[in-house]
Amino acid sequence: MSGQLVTSPRFAGLALLRERFASGFKDPIMRANVLALAGGKLIGLALVMAAMWFFLPTPLHAQAGAPSPEVNAINTMWVLIAAFLVFCMQVGFVMLEAGFARSRESVNILVEGIVDTAICGVTFWAWGFAFMFEPGNGFIGMHGFFLNGLADTYGSTGIPLLAFWVFQFAFADTCSTITSGAMVGRCGFVGDILYSIGVTGFIYPIIGHWGWGPDGWLAVMGPAAFRDFAGSTVVHSIGGAISLAGAIALGPRLGRVFRRDGGGPPLPHNIILGAVGGLILWFGWYGFNPGSTLSGMDMQGIARVSFNTTMAACSAGLTALFYAYVRVKKWDLGLTVNGFLAGLVAITAPCYWVSPTGAFFIGAVSGVIVIWFTDLLEYVRIDDPIGAVPVHLGCGVWGTLALGIFATGQYGLPTPTGMDASVVVKGLLYGGGTQQLLAQAIGSGAVCLATFSVAMVLMYAVKATGTLRVSAQGELEGLDLHEHGMPAYPEYVIHGDSPHFGGTPKSSPSAVGVPVPQPARH
Amino acid sequence: MKLIKCIVRPNKVDDVRDALEKLSLAGMTVTDVRGHGRQKGHTAVYRGKEYAVSLLPKVEIEVVVHDNVVEEVIRAIVEAARTGEIGDGRVFVLPVEQGYNIRTGERDVN
Repeated sequence: MSGQLVTSPRFAGLALLRERFASGFKDPIMRANVLALAGGKLIGLALVMAAMWFFLPTPLHAQAGAPSPEVNAINTMWVLIAAFLVFCMQVGFVMLEAGFARSRESVNILVEGIVDTAICGVTFWAWGFAFMFEPGNGFIGMHGFFLNGLADTYGSTGIPLLAFWVFQFAFADTCSTITSGAMVGRCGFVGDILYSIGVTGFIYPIIGHWGWGPDGWLAVMGPAAFRDFAGSTVVHSIGGAISLAGAIALGPRLGRVFRRDGGGPPLPHNIILGAVGGLILWFGWYGFNPGSTLSGMDMQGIARVSFNTTMAACSAGLTALFYAYVRVKKWDLGLTVNGFLAGLVAITAPCYWVSPTGAFFIGAVSGVIVIWFTDLLEYVRIDDPIGAVPVHLGCGVWGTLALGIFATGQYGLPTPTGMDASVVVKGLLYGGGTQQLLAQAIGSGAVCLATFSVAMVLMYAVKATGTLRVSAQGELEGLDLHEHGMPAYPEYVIHGDSPHFGGTPKSSPSAVGVPVPQPARH
Repeated sequence: MKLIKCIVRPNKVDDVRDALEKLSLAGMTVTDVRGHGRQKGHTAVYRGKEYAVSLLPKVEIEVVVHDNVVEEVIRAIVEAARTGEIGDGRVFVLPVEQGYNIRTGERDVN
């Protein structure tokens, strides 16, 4: 048959083609390429089909006829303004991280912050919101993928669904950016993309559903339900625990010597950027906590939350400042910034239910916890370049427990039109017994353990692909040049104490000037 | 006395300093410099366009030492700063006529 084809001039071209295919398939590299291409096309096709299946049945505009509660104007405006403030925390995060890192990884931090935000937006629209805020079972929401089939407003809040989504997207993005904090300086960009999809697409929304979902098992548990007003556990402990897993999976930066081995953290490259970033985070927190009332009509609630947020940050900044002074006899800016951030993280869960005095003490304790936790990480030789784990995990846990201790019992639950005082939250110090504290401990423990275990699996899975950590050469050259082809300050010759390597924390070099050898003196 | 002037990779400064401290030299001068030898720089990317960066960041270290320790110091620097790749840098040795201590006004004895 084939002989006939070859002889016929009409099929000569076809035969040639067949010949080339046959020889191509004998070549293993060619075969692998063709298979990969075909496989990739099939996967892509399947994804598109799956997406269409979600998209087509109930497009959003088709729900116009569905009955929905009336939109509440002031709640909507309040939540949107808060959402924009929380988004502003991204600015703070990238500034804080870039400022406290070495100059050679600044571009990488900025690109990661931006790309994590973008990934978070897409995954939170596609399935994250459905996993987290829609009914399903106690462990995961199973409704409203791509926001399809949802009512115009979220629950009884009177807030348009899309406004509520923007607010919650900003929270998810915060969690996602926290994770990168302890992984600065050595994490490859492809690895960052892979673990970010895992964090914002799965870990945060699914475990967040336990505490904040309408039927999450922690939110409905009895006799006292787990309370986390704005996310000490749901946002900060989850982010901090993932960050810890990432730092463990990555290992320390090259040349990082720990304090017990006679070293210390490399010097930051721009302490002004870092401190300004910290203050912008504090500003953004005024959206994070007060906005979580989800109601502009709960005037006393908003005021109380704003006050408590401020007070905890102030007292935590002061205790960190003085505690650091006692230890090193200098007024340390870096520890003070991490101190007030620790206070903000801690007050995030209890801010609705505690008194001004309570907020003061919750903050004051967190300013010390953050320094102890930093020491602990240093002692066990885990390299956390900007202190994400002590601030977000350490003080996230403390703040969650503090609710069970300091809740006054005067305040109930926030509703769309004000406070509902029929159920009050009362802590240990105000005669509420250990019931609430126990609920907080169960919630915090379950979330932290589950997050840390899953994050370890995720990080080691990404590590197995070889993309989590850059090569030693790339790390020494700096992630900016290696991954992005651009230093942060391309125009300037950078001055400073060994800025490219971050300096060493030993006592200052003996050397300014040109010396002669000592023994030669007569 | 000799001035030993070496140009090394930025990430080797600490190693060189440690090596020199072992020889109990009292100090050194370190300067950020840019330049190139046979290593021809790298490519930077900005808004999708590639730029050839021919002058690379390096660090220059200067020490003034006595003639009898010159060999030892050079060996220490070369061993500490070497990676074996192009771009490890250079060491130069220059004669020094006189040296003074500014604080005391004393002249260094050769």
